[in-house]
Amino acid sequence: MMTLKIQIIIAVMIAIFVAVLFVMTVKKSIQPKYTLAWFLISLGILILDIFPNLMTALSDAIGIFSPVNMIFFVGFLYMGFIIFALSVALSRMSGRVTSLTQEMAILRKKIEDKEEESK
Amino acid sequence: MKKLVIIPAHNEALSIKSTVETIRAKAPSYDVIVINDHSLDDTGKILKDNNIPAINLSVNLGIGGAVQTGYKYGAINGYDLAVQVDGDGQHDPEYLKTLEEALINNNADLVIGSRFIDKEGFQSSSLRRSGIRYFTGLIKLLGHQTITDPTSGMRMVNSKTMKLWAKDYPRDFPEPESCLMALKSKLKVMEVPVIMKERQGGKSSIHILKGAYYMIKVTFALILEGVRSHDDA
Repeated sequence: MMTLKIQIIIAVMIAIFVAVLFVMTVKKSIQPKYTLAWFLISLGILILDIFPNLMTALSDAIGIFSPVNMIFFVGFLYMGFIIFALSVALSRMSGRVTSLTQEMAILRKKIEDKEEESK
Repeated sequence: MKKLVIIPAHNEALSIKSTVETIRAKAPSYDVIVINDHSLDDTGKILKDNNIPAINLSVNLGIGGAVQTGYKYGAINGYDLAVQVDGDGQHDPEYLKTLEEALINNNADLVIGSRFIDKEGFQSSSLRRSGIRYFTGLIKLLGHQTITDPTSGMRMVNSKTMKLWAKDYPRDFPEPESCLMALKSKLKVMEVPVIMKERQGGKSSIHILKGAYYMIKVTFALILEGVRSHDDA
């Protein structure tokens, strides 16, 4: 079983994280769609933290000894998923940045040439 | 016939001016365009002061993104052929004529200047040569043609290949992969013997420590390119 101590520590960590997440979303340093993913995992972990019995049955079923490990395991999988999705998003983004940079530089050259002509 | 020399330059302040001057002297029928890949040294200033046509990238894209910018520029402006000449003075513009004749006389889509046909001039280290031979084998396996110098940066293309590469070009270490890409798109690829010098300024984009990564990355990229389906260009 989880001790009350670790339950409180986890709850406090999540509370701080959610607060930071909220502030960053308000300041627009993170897009709401990402906020949502991170908020959901925080909420999930918090629920399991408050009611560890929820997890006991499942952790028994897949052979994990203690519910706290189950929380970490599920959290780890979910984070892995988020990070992978970010790699995909980043790849797409970097392709777009490349195209934009190229198009912009070619256009700038064209404008410079026009200005040169009209002189 | 509109002919374009594409010179990718990243921090080549030491050699860029002489590279351009040599090309202009030895191949006056070519237009020159320097792709300044967000150089942090005086490359941009030197280009401006000497009135050398340049496209200045505001973000560093790496060699693949820079060269592709040149192909895009060439395709947009209706060039019939384009050739990549590196900004470090390793390529002798003397050979533009050789490449051009090969391209036109053989109706080829891509002509590669190879150091390893006549085995003259700067031959690179034996370690690099065995790496290159390995890529030759891999490309032969996947693209069914022997390319003796798949890492050569001295390549001349017609408008067909220019358009293919303007649309899609590998990001880093682009030479072997783009070569296979051309083969898989059923383009006519051929090689002509050239002599290369050791680089003047700047440094090779392939450092010794990065060698292993280069081998693995390019192998992976080639295999991916091998399984990817291609429309005929």
